[in-house]
Amino acid sequence: MSDATLPTFRTATEEAPLLRIALIAIAVAGLAILVFAPLAVVFAEALRDGWLAAVESLGNRDARSAIHLTLLITAIAVPANAVFGIAAAWFITKFDFRGKAFLITLIDLPFSVSPVVAGLCIVLLFGANSAIGSWLVAHGWPIVFAIPGIVLATVFVTFPFVARELIPVMIEQGRTEEEAALTLGASGWRTFRTVTLPNIRWALLYGTLLCTARAMGEFGAVAVVSGKIRGQTATMPITIEMLYNEYLSVAAFSMAALLTALALVTLLLKTLLELRHADQLAATRRH
Amino acid sequence: MTMAARPLVHKTAMPGLGLSAGITIAMLSIVVLLPIGALLLKGASFGLTNVLDVVGRERVMASLYLSFKLSLLAALFNLVFGVLLAWVLVRYRFPGKRILDAAVDLPFALPTAVAGIALTALYAPNGAFGSLAQQVGLKIAYTQAGIFIALVFVGLPFVTRTVQPVIEEIEQEVEEASATLGASRLHTLRHVILPMLAPAALTGFALSLARAVGEYGSVIFIAGNIPLRTEIAPLLIVIQLEEFNYDAAAAIGIAMLVISFAMLLAINLIQIVSRRKMGHV
Amino acid sequence: MHIDIDEIAKTFGATTALHPVSLSIPSGALVALLGPSGSGKTTLLRILGGLEFPTSGRVMFNGQDATGMTVQERRAGFVFQSYALFRHMTVFDNIAYGLRARPRGQRPPKAEITRRVTKLLDLIQLPDIASRYPTQLSGGQRQRVALARALAIEPRMLLLDEPFGALDAKVRKELRQGLRDIHDETGLTTVFVTHDQDEAMELADLVVVMSMGRIEQIGRPQDIRGKPATEFVRDFISA
Repeated sequence: MSDATLPTFRTATEEAPLLRIALIAIAVAGLAILVFAPLAVVFAEALRDGWLAAVESLGNRDARSAIHLTLLITAIAVPANAVFGIAAAWFITKFDFRGKAFLITLIDLPFSVSPVVAGLCIVLLFGANSAIGSWLVAHGWPIVFAIPGIVLATVFVTFPFVARELIPVMIEQGRTEEEAALTLGASGWRTFRTVTLPNIRWALLYGTLLCTARAMGEFGAVAVVSGKIRGQTATMPITIEMLYNEYLSVAAFSMAALLTALALVTLLLKTLLELRHADQLAATRRH
Repeated sequence: MTMAARPLVHKTAMPGLGLSAGITIAMLSIVVLLPIGALLLKGASFGLTNVLDVVGRERVMASLYLSFKLSLLAALFNLVFGVLLAWVLVRYRFPGKRILDAAVDLPFALPTAVAGIALTALYAPNGAFGSLAQQVGLKIAYTQAGIFIALVFVGLPFVTRTVQPVIEEIEQEVEEASATLGASRLHTLRHVILPMLAPAALTGFALSLARAVGEYGSVIFIAGNIPLRTEIAPLLIVIQLEEFNYDAAAAIGIAMLVISFAMLLAINLIQIVSRRKMGHV
Repeated sequence: MHIDIDEIAKTFGATTALHPVSLSIPSGALVALLGPSGSGKTTLLRILGGLEFPTSGRVMFNGQDATGMTVQERRAGFVFQSYALFRHMTVFDNIAYGLRARPRGQRPPKAEITRRVTKLLDLIQLPDIASRYPTQLSGGQRQRVALARALAIEPRMLLLDEPFGALDAKVRKELRQGLRDIHDETGLTTVFVTHDQDEAMELADLVVVMSMGRIEQIGRPQDIRGKPATEFVRDFISA
């Protein structure tokens, strides 16, 4: 072998330096093209006509209403999902019952359903031409083409986020700390508040963070159920679509830049959590 | 009789059974099960022959075929690139690695509509990459290539994130053993490391595939949406809904649901077999 | 407090953890539940503590039916096998937990809680560790903190699940005497689970040998050594 004549300093578990450099280059180039370039384009297009135009486009009535609506939807959907996630994780990890695996599968179901199909399902259940929907509309509680429908669609697509994060963490932590609290006389609620919650807080925050990012940005499911009524049911992503289709590029990209900035903040917080509390998160230990 | 005597829930001192089970089942029913039930019910009342009739239309078949074909290709790309990326991020040290690692999650965090218009701006004929492609006679935006790129984007993190922890846990002794037995580094990578990563990579592949099949927001801007050529299945559902064709929309929705479950099931089976072969996990 | 276990049985799904077993524990006794893993001894202890409920049978405390009594009402000082210390609380907060969890009217004032915790720390001979976290303690220290935490609620009985299981041989010897001393000092009816026959024989007044969900023999250590009642007991103690 010609290799034998070359001096090698690498250990048995390393690749040849050239191969290593090539792999790193492919990884960097791939991410640059696939991830960093789209990210840069969002801000470049938003600032095409300068800062002033970008900021101004976010100040009009429809844009403000869209921002307001997205914050409102997120403020309802995320806590709803956190409550569900905690309840589901408690039920699944603190009790033994038949059909547990099936229940977990059902909770994961929304991950494999297209957001558009999710929206369709909600329209079929609560739309004006369904039995439930027409009754609700007649009593002044429209779901579809209204805020409740958007909330429902958002909760659907983010459904497993918190539960999936909490379940592995709570399985690993076991039940004995809660049992100890109970034997010391603590009530169920007190046990949850003083023993369970401190142990799962970082995992809960992590799951909530992922849930928030997805809730603010959900498009497909909301596009179907919202009816896209300007100033009323148009969320930020829907407004981006409407502006883009009207060739209002700067306005569309300005709103996109705002959502992107929020996404970057999410990513930063998520990375910080992973660095500081890796041992208490499921995601960083998932096998 | 013994089955009937077995309690549904094993009773312990743990509090909150009624509350947690109640919230879980109520929310699961209202948010997920009842809506999906409504879809299936709509399909049932429409009738199987009618459903098949709608799905069999040329435009519907073309869109389903397109969605699944491009999703498969994108997931395959992500499988290869994702494993490579995971390996580089775990095993090598280089400046900027932490930023690169964080950036892998960007497609999860970035709203799909934002990704859609950003990719379109990049790959449109007057965009940064689109104009380069045009010089060599390639058109990306408003073609199937554009859809492929959007689907690669949304599915990018899955494989990397499932494979990374597995690489971290590989005992270096295994690699050293392979080397002492005379295997070249490439041989070790191919015959020792890759098989260890296979189950996790397959999981990531399945997740990436499922995500791509249902993807809407990032695709519709770059797709051009030309019937029979660049029209994806979720878009057809939206079009049917805008025309108040609830039956047809339900039919396509059911078809998508069935096909994606079948694919997930198939991949899960492959995974079970490959794990059994490895003897553990 | 004397404890009567009256025909207690427990099944988990298709498996039977306890066949109907009966046992009478006199007030102030120090009892060992001895047996191999899967013998049902931990299940029996958890039923006494109110963490599990029997499929049939009754538990009586001082002649009163306590079968349906909640875990909080029982006030059993329970020491878990892995100690189950609250990892996000200091040693002080761990020990004070039960006192602070009392309903407002019965909760001792702050100064009283501090006094009692300090006294317990003296009792377990670890007066200086109040502000440490469980992860900063050795195995033996953790065990003693768990014991102090259980004693803080002024329990009506002391239940210990493999209290020395996770410790090395030297520490184990020391803590055995510690448990004996605390038992003698408090006079609490004490039940501990172990798979180690030396531990059971050396420490307990009364040894209950269990196997496969049944009680094989109940007796003083010397009786069990001298006159094993069944083949199983003979094999188990000679092992």
